[in-house]
Amino acid sequence: MQNFKKYLLLSIASLAFVSCSSDDDNPVANNVTLEFNNTFKNTTIVLGAATSTSATTNTSVAGQVHHFSELKYVISNIRLVKDNGDEVPYNVNDLDKGATVIDQSKTATLSYVLSNVPSATYKQIKFGLGIKPEQNTLDQARFPNFYAAAGANDTAMMWEWGSGYRFTKVEGFYDTDNKTMSIHTGSTVQGTAGSYTQGVNAYRDITLNLTTNAVVGSKAPKIKIKADFDKMLSGKTNTITLSTGTGDADNATPNIHTAAQMVKFVDNFGGNGSSDITGMFSVTGVEN
Amino acid sequence: MKKIAGFIFLLLLFASCNSDDSDMISIDNPEISLNIPSGFPELNSFVSLNKPTKYGVELGEKLFSEKRFSADNTISCSSCHIQANAFTDQHAQAIGIEGRIGLRNTPSIQNLAFMKFYNWDGSKLQLETQPLVPIITHEEMNSSILEVIGKIKDDAVYKDLFRKAFGDENVTPERIYKSIAQFEYTLISANSKYDKVKRNTASFTESELQGYQTFQQKCASCHSSELFTDQSFRNIGFPLNTDTNEAGRGRVTGIAADFMSFRVPTLRNIEYTAPYGSFGQFTTLKSVLDYFDSGVLDAENLDPIFKENGKRIPLTEQEKINLIAFMKTLSDTDFVKN
Repeated sequence: MQNFKKYLLLSIASLAFVSCSSDDDNPVANNVTLEFNNTFKNTTIVLGAATSTSATTNTSVAGQVHHFSELKYVISNIRLVKDNGDEVPYNVNDLDKGATVIDQSKTATLSYVLSNVPSATYKQIKFGLGIKPEQNTLDQARFPNFYAAAGANDTAMMWEWGSGYRFTKVEGFYDTDNKTMSIHTGSTVQGTAGSYTQGVNAYRDITLNLTTNAVVGSKAPKIKIKADFDKMLSGKTNTITLSTGTGDADNATPNIHTAAQMVKFVDNFGGNGSSDITGMFSVTGVEN
Repeated sequence: MKKIAGFIFLLLLFASCNSDDSDMISIDNPEISLNIPSGFPELNSFVSLNKPTKYGVELGEKLFSEKRFSADNTISCSSCHIQANAFTDQHAQAIGIEGRIGLRNTPSIQNLAFMKFYNWDGSKLQLETQPLVPIITHEEMNSSILEVIGKIKDDAVYKDLFRKAFGDENVTPERIYKSIAQFEYTLISANSKYDKVKRNTASFTESELQGYQTFQQKCASCHSSELFTDQSFRNIGFPLNTDTNEAGRGRVTGIAADFMSFRVPTLRNIEYTAPYGSFGQFTTLKSVLDYFDSGVLDAENLDPIFKENGKRIPLTEQEKINLIAFMKTLSDTDFVKN
């Protein structure tokens, strides 16, 4: 028993030593804040009802004037890439800790703080717009916090019939007579990765180069990300003209849920996954 | 040092004793062998991953009628899936909590173990993934799986059933989904007059026989096999549901040809499942046949069988009478009563 006490003492001593080592001036980790700015070109979007005079309006390449009353999207699978190319994943397998709903009507959601990011110099950020198929199952038992945030009545980022999350939700008005538009995206794939048996995968992986390296250490940098919703209708992949009706080509209402029409918006928001891996996103600055 | 080793050894022994205890409670929960009717297609491959057991099915059946699945404890699965109607509800579109009206007509629940697709649009391929949908849908139960578990987990009857079905009292989402699917896998309908005729233990009346012949000529290319559906998705020019959420299978696949296409429904127990169509467009079988006879709506992706035949299925009044007589031979009175 005498020996046992010695071991105990030694363990306590070593614990104390470990906790001491994080007290110096070069912490092993720090926060990184992602600050989202949702814009039409370079103007930050102000939301508004149909006849709002304060809402920010935009005009598409096809000449359609439009403005938004609601703007939300899901960010997940965040990875920071070090200057040596190593990728540092941020809770990529835990939606509660690594995914968030950006909601233009809630200022607090526009800044997402990554905590305990390992000290290093980072040159690039990667993240997902939406949720990867294997995590997109509305698993409330596994990720109760994200489920609650996405499912809240004033957020409504769930697609019940597809048992998945909405990835983007844009409500608004278009043309001079302010017709309703309602653009929702989400995945409908069934099966497992590599062998999807039906449906579309609306998850998009985004890769953005930082304007200057973000140095995590004694300081907690801020990465400013612009999401330019001008690209929604006037994107790199598709130029979209909105139309209202019940035909399969009509796309302004949630019968956008005809996945064929939906994918055009998905590609404009988040890129097509091949020639375009930035979609509407860009990094406008890094504050170290 | 020896003392420590001994202590650790003792600890390990103690721990292993503990887990032995729970193993000692063995429950007899035999698998239920599904009685597969002759001529039926192969089982959906997911059935082998969740084979029905005695208590799994018993639990699933109880959960199927559990009103606490809904936010206000008023709606269970069996509120819309009523056995007497071959597990449909006689409404054009399903009605959920607070009288909210759903997008589509409640589909029948029968022979699901043999189906490759579930729902009108085939959005689900595995039955275990379906029960969550009505639980969380605003127009149906408007609840969540953890809310449901919170309401039932301390219920002594459920504790007993979960232990018998799964080995311990833990009420988990997966166990709820699995037991409901197990119950549904056992709902096999294959004892109608038609089946008895096939087995040479009954015979058609003259009208039923005439109807069967017309059926084979004019209906069986879609309503094929012993399931009376080829499980394909087709746009057959039925009146359109103008709800902006409706796009038929198109909203699942993103394929233009699937726009407003729906799964060919089974004709088994069709007598009990009125009204008909994806949102209950037709109140009677006669009105469906009249519609086919007078002509369906055109569409770019209208099914080729209609496109190539003047967008209609011509039927005489006598043929309609006989067809309905035949369709009623697909009624399985045991299935809707037991």
